[in-house]
Amino acid sequence: MTSSLSHRSGAQARAPWLTLQRRDAIEGWLFVSPTLLGFLIFFLGPLIAIFIYAMSDWNFLSGEATFVGLTNFEDALLENPDFWHVLRNSAVFALGLVPLNVALALFLAVALSRPFRGVIIFRTIFFAPVITSAIAWAIVWKFMLQGEGGPINQMLALIGITGPNWLREPNWAMAAVIVTRVIKMVGLNMILYIAALQAIPRDYDEAAGLEGASRWQIFRLITWPLLGPTTLVIVVLTTIGSFKVFDHIYQMTGGGPENGTLVLAFYIYQQGFQFFDIGYASALAIIMFVIVTILTLIQVSLRRKDDA
Amino acid sequence: MKGIFTLTASAMVLMAAQASAQDLRVAVYTSSEPHLKLLNQLADGFKASHPGVNVRFETIPVADYTQKLSFQVAGGKAPDVAWMMEDAAPAFIEANILMDLTPVLQAFPNYDLADFTDPAMALWRKGDQVYGVPFSTSPFLIYYNKAMFDKAGLEDPKQLAEKGEWNMTKFQEVSKQLVAANPGKYAFEFKDGEGYASRMTHALLPPIRAYGGDLWENGQCGLESPGAVKAVQQIHDMVFKDKTIVPPGTQGDYFSGDSAMTVNQISRASKMKEAGFDWGVAPLPTGPNGEEGPVIGQAGFVVFEASPNKELAAELVAQMTDKEGVAALAQFFPPARRSVLTSDAFLNKNQYLSPEMMGFVAAGIEKGRVVAAHERVPQILAAMKPRVDALWRPDADVAKSLQGVCAAIQPLL
Repeated sequence: MTSSLSHRSGAQARAPWLTLQRRDAIEGWLFVSPTLLGFLIFFLGPLIAIFIYAMSDWNFLSGEATFVGLTNFEDALLENPDFWHVLRNSAVFALGLVPLNVALALFLAVALSRPFRGVIIFRTIFFAPVITSAIAWAIVWKFMLQGEGGPINQMLALIGITGPNWLREPNWAMAAVIVTRVIKMVGLNMILYIAALQAIPRDYDEAAGLEGASRWQIFRLITWPLLGPTTLVIVVLTTIGSFKVFDHIYQMTGGGPENGTLVLAFYIYQQGFQFFDIGYASALAIIMFVIVTILTLIQVSLRRKDDA
Repeated sequence: MKGIFTLTASAMVLMAAQASAQDLRVAVYTSSEPHLKLLNQLADGFKASHPGVNVRFETIPVADYTQKLSFQVAGGKAPDVAWMMEDAAPAFIEANILMDLTPVLQAFPNYDLADFTDPAMALWRKGDQVYGVPFSTSPFLIYYNKAMFDKAGLEDPKQLAEKGEWNMTKFQEVSKQLVAANPGKYAFEFKDGEGYASRMTHALLPPIRAYGGDLWENGQCGLESPGAVKAVQQIHDMVFKDKTIVPPGTQGDYFSGDSAMTVNQISRASKMKEAGFDWGVAPLPTGPNGEEGPVIGQAGFVVFEASPNKELAAELVAQMTDKEGVAALAQFFPPARRSVLTSDAFLNKNQYLSPEMMGFVAAGIEKGRVVAAHERVPQILAAMKPRVDALWRPDADVAKSLQGVCAAIQPLL
């Protein structure tokens, strides 16, 4: 035994197995293993499961499941007109919410990035809705937006405007859920923008000012390009968030009126947890995943083009 | 060290004792202390006659009840016994996951299955087999704010019902007078203020039944029948022309005194304690020619086929729904047993409703039909919803809108 060991170690130039590199690697794996384990169990596992579910017709109650291949995807993309209606609603929601949210967040951040008396109070006021319960928020707005006797319409009546029945008319309902969602979430993007603005050295502004640049020129030619990476993150996160919106719709409109606010995440919930059609719901979830991934890649590539 | 040994030994003894005991889990959607106390009392009787059996009630919040129950079933963790709401029952029965209780109920001493009224059992029977036993058969009633009727100088719905004048025409008439006499208030609010959303069928069903129709029957949509169109047209006029019913998108809570009337079941009587106004209950208004069409909401006990103790679970259901069990439950849940419906205890000893009011409840149960059910209710409601939304526009053509609803749901029926 001893001789064979010494023979082997001799043959391998006496390199110990546990090299510094290996030890580092093992340590590294040990450090990331809890996260990795969590990722495998709570993310990758369900992700794989969802692909399997999507290719089955699974009656949730009886427990009977049959393999149906890509039928659920075909149903959604080719046969079910509801799906395209829902996708259109999600697109309208995202197109309404993302620019409004980003523009308002930027405006607030510019206004509140410089120190002045009471700035913390203003920041807190705009950030508070972010940490408010989404359900409570939606309930309050549902009350505010009542058709008859709602506080918003009462205020409009004071200036001679007859407000619409906000949550009962499809177009107004979509506008109402977008705006109330923006007010709820804009504080988060505002904070990200404030952090980014504060990281821009003041020297740039001062130098441009000395060169005679106007405040608008400074913002357009210096500040805005430097905010690019932050804007990308904000746009990507807000877009993903807008496609995933559920609680807000669930409480404020339930997808109505006339399916006018039935968005993809709510539709997936309806198919999976109200109709118990887990196969179809899983296929929809995968389609949503693909859509969000494509949108993210487009945004990243546009950003790269800008940088180039 | 000795302490650790003693503790381990005690734990093992306890675990062994638990393993040997048969544990029956009953899923319910009430968290009310008095309800659970009563259920536990009934279970104690069962435990006394079945030594070694333990009964545990598990509350699942009512809003997610059916959904969570479904997840438990799908996850192989179905309870042994569960409460089941009427709209969920057909889907569970059709999925063949509920136990046929007939043999156990028939063998149970003095059970008398025929004592249950036929309308009450219709939902739970499939052929000769019984898949559930209703413990709550609760008719829809009109709740009214007596003070608002007095202010308008009007006879209240109870008085009108006693005179045989409480019909849909009178309902519309008094509604106008109520609004005129109580500015800023509404005459009527749909059930739980949800008549344009989660309770859209509960809003439509009472008037439609009063006009001799139904939402659907024998696989046929009934919403475009002449009676249904007339009924919905009348309600539509009350919402948008008379402006007497709380309109869509507005809150007008009856229990806060914002509306003079609403439709609900006797379980809501407990809320009236805090309302702070004089109130009463009356039957639903009859049709224009006096036709009655009471509507009943229902819940029943079911046993899951997958339960390892299903025979025992079925016996528990039998004991809880025999004559004594139903009489005890009748304190809170209107019974479907004829013998209990006519009993002194049920009619005269309710803590919220007077014997006179309870008379309306008993009559509603005797004559009423359970709300329209179907194994695909969730899909039907989802298909209905956008079309019913279109119906509740001020300029909607009611007949055309109802045709649209039927076109959407007929394939599912």
